[in-house]
Amino acid sequence: MIHIFGIRHHGPGCARSLLRALEELSPDCILIEGPPEAEAVLASAVHAEIEPPVALLLYCPEDTKKASFYPFAEFSPEWQAIRFGFQRGMPVRFMDLPQAHDLALRDAETGPTPVEDEGDLVVSSEESLTGDPLDWLGRAAGYGDGESWWNHLVEERRDGDSVGLFAAIQEAMTVARAEFPRKLNSHSSHREALREAHMRKTIRDAVKEGFQQIAVVCGAWHVPALAEMPSAKSDNDLLKGLPKVKVAATWAPWTYGRLAAASGYGAGVLSPGWYEFLWRSQTSDASQRSIAWLSRVARLMREEDIDCSSAHVIEAARLSDALAAMRERPAAGLEEINEAIRTVICMGDDAPLRLIRSRLIVGEKLGRVPPDVPTVPLQQDLEKQQRGLRLKPEALAKELDLDLRNENDLTRSQLLHRLNLLGIQWGEVRGTGRGAKGTFHEVWQIQWQPEFAVSIIEASRWGHTLVDAASALAIDQAENAISLPALSSLVDLVLLASLPRAVEPVIHALENLAAVAGDASQLLEAIPPLANVFRYGNVRQTDSSLVGHVLDGLVTRVCISLGGACASLDDDAALAMRKRILAAHQAIQLVGKDSHLSDWMAALTRLAVLGGTHGLVSGLAARLLFDGQLEDADASSLRMSQALSIGNDPAPAAAWLEGFLHQSGMILLHDDRLWQTVDAWLDSLSEDHFTRILPLIRRTFAEFPGTERTQLGTRATRGQTAPAIGATTSELDWNEDRAAKPLAVLERILHL
Amino acid sequence: MSTLRQHAEHLFAHELDELKKSDSRQRPTNWNLSPWAVSNYLLGGKLDNGFEVSAKYIGNRRVIEIAVATLATDRALLLYGVPGTAKSWVSEHLAAAISGDSTRLVQGTAGTSEEQMRYGWNYALLLSKGPSREAIVPSPLMKAMEDGRIARIEELTRIPADVQDTLITILSEKSLPIPELASETQANRGFNVIATANNRDKGVNELSSALKRRFNTVILPVPATEEEEIAIVSKRVAEMGKALELPSEPPALKEVRRIVQVFRELRDGQTADGKTKLKQPTGTMSTAEAISVLNSGIALSTHFGDGTLRAGDVAAGLVGAVIKDPVQDAVVWREYLETVVKERDDWKDLYRACREMI
Repeated sequence: MIHIFGIRHHGPGCARSLLRALEELSPDCILIEGPPEAEAVLASAVHAEIEPPVALLLYCPEDTKKASFYPFAEFSPEWQAIRFGFQRGMPVRFMDLPQAHDLALRDAETGPTPVEDEGDLVVSSEESLTGDPLDWLGRAAGYGDGESWWNHLVEERRDGDSVGLFAAIQEAMTVARAEFPRKLNSHSSHREALREAHMRKTIRDAVKEGFQQIAVVCGAWHVPALAEMPSAKSDNDLLKGLPKVKVAATWAPWTYGRLAAASGYGAGVLSPGWYEFLWRSQTSDASQRSIAWLSRVARLMREEDIDCSSAHVIEAARLSDALAAMRERPAAGLEEINEAIRTVICMGDDAPLRLIRSRLIVGEKLGRVPPDVPTVPLQQDLEKQQRGLRLKPEALAKELDLDLRNENDLTRSQLLHRLNLLGIQWGEVRGTGRGAKGTFHEVWQIQWQPEFAVSIIEASRWGHTLVDAASALAIDQAENAISLPALSSLVDLVLLASLPRAVEPVIHALENLAAVAGDASQLLEAIPPLANVFRYGNVRQTDSSLVGHVLDGLVTRVCISLGGACASLDDDAALAMRKRILAAHQAIQLVGKDSHLSDWMAALTRLAVLGGTHGLVSGLAARLLFDGQLEDADASSLRMSQALSIGNDPAPAAAWLEGFLHQSGMILLHDDRLWQTVDAWLDSLSEDHFTRILPLIRRTFAEFPGTERTQLGTRATRGQTAPAIGATTSELDWNEDRAAKPLAVLERILHL
Repeated sequence: MSTLRQHAEHLFAHELDELKKSDSRQRPTNWNLSPWAVSNYLLGGKLDNGFEVSAKYIGNRRVIEIAVATLATDRALLLYGVPGTAKSWVSEHLAAAISGDSTRLVQGTAGTSEEQMRYGWNYALLLSKGPSREAIVPSPLMKAMEDGRIARIEELTRIPADVQDTLITILSEKSLPIPELASETQANRGFNVIATANNRDKGVNELSSALKRRFNTVILPVPATEEEEIAIVSKRVAEMGKALELPSEPPALKEVRRIVQVFRELRDGQTADGKTKLKQPTGTMSTAEAISVLNSGIALSTHFGDGTLRAGDVAAGLVGAVIKDPVQDAVVWREYLETVVKERDDWKDLYRACREMI
């Protein structure tokens, strides 16, 4: 006898009914929809140390990019069926098309496809091509979508009639397959035909071997195809001469987040956390169940300091029951409960619901695999690269000097950066080579730690190769980043690690964050690393146009908000702001785009007006304008004389001077008018004022190089009327006495 | 004499009758219709006998279902949302459908007193005969309790906090004590309260958490899709143009679409294609404001232009609608102009017109 159980992958109600049915039936052989190559590692499913969610990982050892994941949660019917079989010592077989063919076909017919589209143990993903037949059935029954319809009828049902359930599923699917023939593309329909042919072949083999009670567990969609057996010959003909690759299997830890469809993983369920709750809850009373769930929610809310009393729970339970009654459903499902929570507990607000979704409905569980499972492909990929690059993992720390102009060294650097991104700190940058070595050197300190083996297994959930894994992780980090400078340096890291796939999402995230960032200093800080990438990106063969677009937006935003950000700064903040503006200025000049420069200069012109901002910043702006030749010496000396005129408080004036001189006195030496203005200003100060600003002036001048100070001193001794250096032809006009007068003062000021 | 505006239960009396006739489901005590029929009345649809019920509320079905289910559980209902999202409209129609009477209404203001919520006295009677039941002037709320009907409170958060809290006893114990007579009025089945409040105003009286706990909150969302909003805006602009006797052409769909897009983008904080994030202004950017921007644009073009609505005519209204806070919103608006409007080739006229306004 062949008993076919059509299930929905990861359905707790299916799993419960399936277990009950298996117990009633006590079969002597279990056939499950899954890749036959995995049978070798199946025994690990009953290992004491395995903890779902875990995934079966099938990959081609020669080309680890070719791989498929088959995730299982505790409540997956397949998982329960495997354990049922192994615990009773009966043969458990996988009957799907071998991955040896599947991976080879994928390569031959469609070229490389995104790996994650292929772990299809779920009905919905297979049907997603032209719309889920569950959706059709659900809509016919008056539900919004197939998910809630199926949840109500199958996953959340409590009665014990498991045989009736599977018969009903078979009937529904037979009708669905007959009425809604899926318009698949030729590749998909061919693949489906192959898979079902192989399943039938496996069933025939089991019958031939003499098993009496064969339990077949497969996705509901396939049930009609397995119930009607065509001739063995036609199936065998179909399966003849398929291409083949070598395939290895192992287990990898999985997370509920990746199990959920929300994370972009095609074959997923929307609410793993809720399903686990359904699976574990033993009560048969639906309202008890919703109260148990609501009290979990209440506990979470209290942990997060959101008010939630028992009365809230009671009212939410009542409302969800009323909603279910209004919609003529037997019991409140997740949808009704969520709506009740939003209305009663959250005051209509969605934010707490998002918290509930990520923490409870999806859940944050991370699975574990026993230590003795075969190595994951990520490990193999790493070993391959280590061999290829002649970088041995050694426990002894050693220094590595990489010349990035050299192909091999560049690849090594990328490898180390990728590992760092994945949290495997094999190497640490000790600095880029300086001096004679130039910027194309990188000095690393590398040391291998034994616990990296564990980190690699953990990292393997991100991908099968280092590039894939590091890219996926970077994209994930970018999506969750909250600080602009962090994101900006992530862009840098991604480029250092050469992860072309991650560049665009990371930059896009940066763009989004920049758009809503209100803090101009964050924006300013984000500019220099990006400008570097834009200007020097080509050394590492990255696409600079992407960065260019983000840079446009950043500069525009900075120019608009710079004035506001510089208003009312205190001394410390002004110092920090000076640094940022300088760095951004250099970056913008480095990029050298006209549109940036004109916006930026306009913003600086607004800053340069004294009074609106701290003197230091406004002096700096005036200086940058002068250096950029946007304002000539006339305009600058006008600004200076305004800033240093008698009407201004001396403290801001001194700060302005510090900002304007900007750690170099050369400008004073070269421009006579500026010199005169400073000189006249110093002269005009009262005794009291002079004492007050002396420390400021001294600090300003003390930062100048020694030779400049000497020259300034010489200049000062020559007196007010002396022309600028270079113009001096004779010393005959000197009035020694008058020149000597300010000398003592200037010596004190200039710290000579 | 014709009434300027009729109550919902009169205007839609025919529909309510038809619904009642065909409604065979269970009704809570003192309800005119079953909860199922009430939500059908609001959302519109075809009855079994072929009668077409018009839609009073266009939007998410679930919102209305939750509201009706709340009233059926005897918890009070708080309709919450930004101004111009049909809160009072929904509240009126719910009361009309459930109780057949939407007039038991307390308008919340800063001056709403406890008498308006509980009861007042007929002083002539009080002085001549002393305190008695006859001398009491019941509030709409008290009447609703006696009749087992729905009472409505508009703008709940504008009512001073101490007056708000008189609701606590009414909502939790369903009774209104009358200490002067050492007696009370107990609510009959079918009594419930629908309150509305908007969540954008500042300086209003936040509900105390004791009161909050007695309300189920339903937030009425802004229009979900661009098409829905464009339809609402063009319909209302056309209606109001007639009322204001503006002779000009109805605005081109292109201009309506553009204004609605600006409003939606700023409200959602991202561009319509979802590619670029934006800062959001402090104002609501409600559909009602979009309507008024277009109306003032039409008025401008009629009286000062050639009667055709152009970018220059809407620019002033647009800037005024966006910039409510002179510092914060100005930055938001300039960023939007420079990074979004400027980039769109066919929006150059709008960009130039808006640049002139700053």
